[in-house]
Amino acid sequence: MGWEGKLLSIHIAPEASYEMEALEEAELVAGRGIVGDRYYLGRGTYSPKPDCREITLIEQEALDALVRDDPPMQGSSIKIEPFEHRRNLTVEGVPLNHLVGYRFSIGECILSGGRLNFPCRYLEQLLDRPVFLPLYNRSGLNCWIEKGGVIHPGDQIVPLNEVTTKPHR
Amino acid sequence: MSSRIIMKLHVERRDQLDEDLVRIWLRHPLRPKLPAWSPGAHVDLRLGDGKIRQYSLTSDPQDLSQYAITVKRENAGRGGSSWVHEHLNEGAQARVSTPRNNFVLVEAPSVLIAGGIGVTPLISMGRALMQSKLLHGFHFCSQRAQPKVVEELKQICETSLSTYVSDDPNSPRLDLSALIAGLSRDLHVYCCGPEHLMTEVKELTKDWNQEQIHFEVFNTAADEGYKPEPFDVIVSSTGETLRVPANHSVLDVLRMAGHIVPSSCRQGLCGTCECGYISGDVIHRDSVLSPDARQDRMMPCVSRARVSVTLDL
Repeated sequence: MGWEGKLLSIHIAPEASYEMEALEEAELVAGRGIVGDRYYLGRGTYSPKPDCREITLIEQEALDALVRDDPPMQGSSIKIEPFEHRRNLTVEGVPLNHLVGYRFSIGECILSGGRLNFPCRYLEQLLDRPVFLPLYNRSGLNCWIEKGGVIHPGDQIVPLNEVTTKPHR
Repeated sequence: MSSRIIMKLHVERRDQLDEDLVRIWLRHPLRPKLPAWSPGAHVDLRLGDGKIRQYSLTSDPQDLSQYAITVKRENAGRGGSSWVHEHLNEGAQARVSTPRNNFVLVEAPSVLIAGGIGVTPLISMGRALMQSKLLHGFHFCSQRAQPKVVEELKQICETSLSTYVSDDPNSPRLDLSALIAGLSRDLHVYCCGPEHLMTEVKELTKDWNQEQIHFEVFNTAADEGYKPEPFDVIVSSTGETLRVPANHSVLDVLRMAGHIVPSSCRQGLCGTCECGYISGDVIHRDSVLSPDARQDRMMPCVSRARVSVTLDL
């Protein structure tokens, strides 16, 4: 895969349902998550269910499409701010749906694409905006952290073109 | 079911309105505007131990730079108001949900009846009704004189305000039956206050169109005579049948079976755990759902069923 993307913003929430907070620098811990985030702390809405949620990403391009009502199924523009969508990383130029099962790097860290994120009614209720269907197939990517480290907005994201498998954790 | 975002707000100011009454002003530490709300709305406030209490917003919904809640210290209460009085000082952080409204103001000529601290949701309603020239009277009864609250209400409601102070022998008494008998039947009536006040208003308006009579309930009605019986819950998406024993709620049983159900007050007041049902004879014990909504919605924290209920989950 020949592409190169960029990390636009980093957000964490201390507990389930808490407002997301922007970080200028985040520490990623392999096998756990982002230091301070609800899934790192085991306090997320879905923490009781074993799943791939160490870190979640969403494409800025998908959020832009919702603003444009593209495809025209929403009836009106829906704006979701980076602190509202509840994914940790907002990225640009990264084909997330193609990264299930692949390694890629963000700055000094290496993530491995676990599964596509599903839109959820919970988010729709939290935002009180009809985002469930518009986010279908572009709700982001849930990842494992293969190699931890520190990341910052502006970090480069590049594919490593290596197949990965679900880690044993 | 509905969940809400929890914000960490900054306590910017604290006004002592009376010796046991404070108004807490809250601002977002990062954003200039808070989420929008409508008159009658409340927020959930998380206490230090994670418990949740609901407080009406008493600021102006047109000014989203800050929220205000007004809290009376109830020493015999469940501990929420004492916690607010002791901990929410200037500079403190308050964990507050985005607003929700279970006491929605209809755009129609209306009369407001408040008892004691039940005045809080009616303050923003009075302001909105004055702006739309639909306020046909704001009746505020209190035990003691509340000069600061009355001064505010006078500024908002001008001559539409009538006050009644039971400890003051010179103050008029509110004659509810005369008041309601004299009201035009096209008015909407909004009432919030102690249970005896709301029961009396309910009784006096029982032959009115019930869609014009609105109550905000912040304490669960006592129904000590109610004896819960076991019944079955069927989850329509999975087909599973779960037994609800007499000493557990539907909410408990759903959670024990691994279903993720948000909840908050566990008293049928806040509306967080609202859930649809497809069939069954539901015994509604909440204080939130309208008669219309009860046809297919229920609150699994308190409501139960005869024999079985099929949930739209």
